[in-house]
Amino acid sequence: MYQYDVIDREFLIDRSSEFRGQVGRRLAGEITEDQFKPLRLMNGLYLQLHAYMLRIAIPYGSLNPTQTRRLAEIARDYDKGYGHFTTRQNIQFNWIKLKDAPDILDKLAEVDLHAIQTSGNCIRNTTSDPYAGATAEEIDDPRVWSEVIRQWSTLHPEFSFLPRKFKIAITASAKDRTAAKVHDIGLLLRQGRDGTHGFEVIVGGGQGRTPYVGPSIKQFLPTDRLLSYLEAVLRVYNRHGRRDNIYKARIKILVAALGAEEFARQVEEEWSKIDAARADLPAAELARIRASFAKTPFETLPARSEAFELAKAHDSAFARFVRNNVRAHKQPGYAIVEVSLKAPEQTPGDASADQLELVADLAERYSFSDLRVTHAQNLVLPHVKQDDLPTVFAALQAAGLATPNIDLISDIIACPGLDYCALANARAIPIAQDIARQFADPDRAEEVGELKIKISGCINACGHHHVAHIGILGVDKKGEEFYQLSLGGSGAEDASIGKILGPALPADKVATAVDQLVGAYLNVRADGERFLDTYRRVGLEPFKEAVYAQAD
Amino acid sequence: MKAITANRLLDGEVVFWKGGQWVERFGEAELFDTDEPVEAAVATGKGQPTVVVDVYPIDLIESEGRWAPLSYRERIRALGPTNEPTHGKQAEGGDVVEALRHAAGAARSTGRVDLIRRK
Repeated sequence: MYQYDVIDREFLIDRSSEFRGQVGRRLAGEITEDQFKPLRLMNGLYLQLHAYMLRIAIPYGSLNPTQTRRLAEIARDYDKGYGHFTTRQNIQFNWIKLKDAPDILDKLAEVDLHAIQTSGNCIRNTTSDPYAGATAEEIDDPRVWSEVIRQWSTLHPEFSFLPRKFKIAITASAKDRTAAKVHDIGLLLRQGRDGTHGFEVIVGGGQGRTPYVGPSIKQFLPTDRLLSYLEAVLRVYNRHGRRDNIYKARIKILVAALGAEEFARQVEEEWSKIDAARADLPAAELARIRASFAKTPFETLPARSEAFELAKAHDSAFARFVRNNVRAHKQPGYAIVEVSLKAPEQTPGDASADQLELVADLAERYSFSDLRVTHAQNLVLPHVKQDDLPTVFAALQAAGLATPNIDLISDIIACPGLDYCALANARAIPIAQDIARQFADPDRAEEVGELKIKISGCINACGHHHVAHIGILGVDKKGEEFYQLSLGGSGAEDASIGKILGPALPADKVATAVDQLVGAYLNVRADGERFLDTYRRVGLEPFKEAVYAQAD
Repeated sequence: MKAITANRLLDGEVVFWKGGQWVERFGEAELFDTDEPVEAAVATGKGQPTVVVDVYPIDLIESEGRWAPLSYRERIRALGPTNEPTHGKQAEGGDVVEALRHAAGAARSTGRVDLIRRK
């Protein structure tokens, strides 16, 4: 993990103190709400339905135990004892008081955390692979580049007032765990034929009311030219992005209007004018950042752990957990452990203060003090010895954190929806709970296999419904909560936007409809096909038939 | 029937207008059956920018012999999140909370009556 230096620390303390002054002036009536709102948003503080909500960045989804314990402390002292992990590697607290916000920012700054640029029309927290440094698939550590972008984009004077918010994702593995292709910029790290590294640059992906899978505008950007190229992309967007219409202000609209080719041409033209020596990161600075992500001191272990194999053979619950939540590690004798925040009846992505403290302890004892947050609203212990897996499993199980459902039907992404969010039209959380209840039988869930359900309470699509195998969008239809289903989306390397299944359904029919969709899939699936594969082979019709023929 | 709601500046708490004061419980909110006093109270509320933000009137319907906000959104504001029944105002329980919980209809759009801003 990147180690803050004196400059980084002073910067956060200054920023927090500046915000304390702004809050003081607002409470004293020296500035208006219209003047104050952009300032609080720049510090991640929203006013939601019941209270203020504070969104804290977790750069590249990486937390150490001290930070995790501090989040637990904030949950206990300033919230109602829990936090909510979002779909962009942030954590949100739902019950924050404005008067407490400056104290909370101070407490975050003490452990190198902040809420800067988690809102507002600026470059937001960069999403990265939660398996970074642990998966054998990656060709470089994407956290290094995420940190480079974090430092470059933080309070960037030219890009602090963009036409609209701006989100970047980076992956260095062929398997995309960041939804890179539906970000404003997706950077896919590739190895060139000559062994050098470069980024494929995807621009203009996005969700919301106009979803796009972003087109590729550059096949191979040498990594040492990253910042000047980003500057060129942002500059073209900043100049031509639509500031007149909030619904057309994202870069995806500009890229679609110009066409990817013309947009790429304008970026190249801009890029050619930029002085690389000024704009690109000096090699020494890259080396300094890279050194913070120095290799984890793994032990040399046999590839096969007898203790692990024995536990698997004798404990079927553990074996199920291993099948679904444990992934291969690059280092022999180690494993990546996914910690599900999708237990039955749990609010997707919520973790209590006690649970946060428990995973902090486990990270400290069993995972080199490293904890990760995924965009699918789960946690990851990235470096667990196979020998320790039975112990880690038992500890997680005792805390309700061992639900064996990663990427299965009950591992549902859901936004806070109308239960919390001022923008929502309908609730998302109770729909997720209904579906999870419908598929509570773990044998059935495993038989169904990988199936990604994602629910948004409004068209802004924080719940990623456009890129779900089964997407669910809450709408307000004549004053009632209704839900529109879509099929065939994917946020992974095979990204696609889902297609609407048919007329929206009332809340109490959604879980049944999902059951009918699953039934239709099981009827026609070929060997080894995921739900998404079957849908792509057979199309919408059999699924439409399954839901609406019976609904008439 | 109408009531007036806002969020308290200091902590974001949902509050309701009651004869010149802001109260936390919907059950204590002042109810209006004519428009003029609503407009006057909203104007007064909007003149208190260091006390409340986002002042607006809401439509009410009858539920179990009591009044409840027409829109689902406003009922959730008056109760708390439905996924955590012990969080927010609903934790207190009682007849008003039950009446709010059992009210039906109107997710969002029809309950807030000043969504279209006339200047």
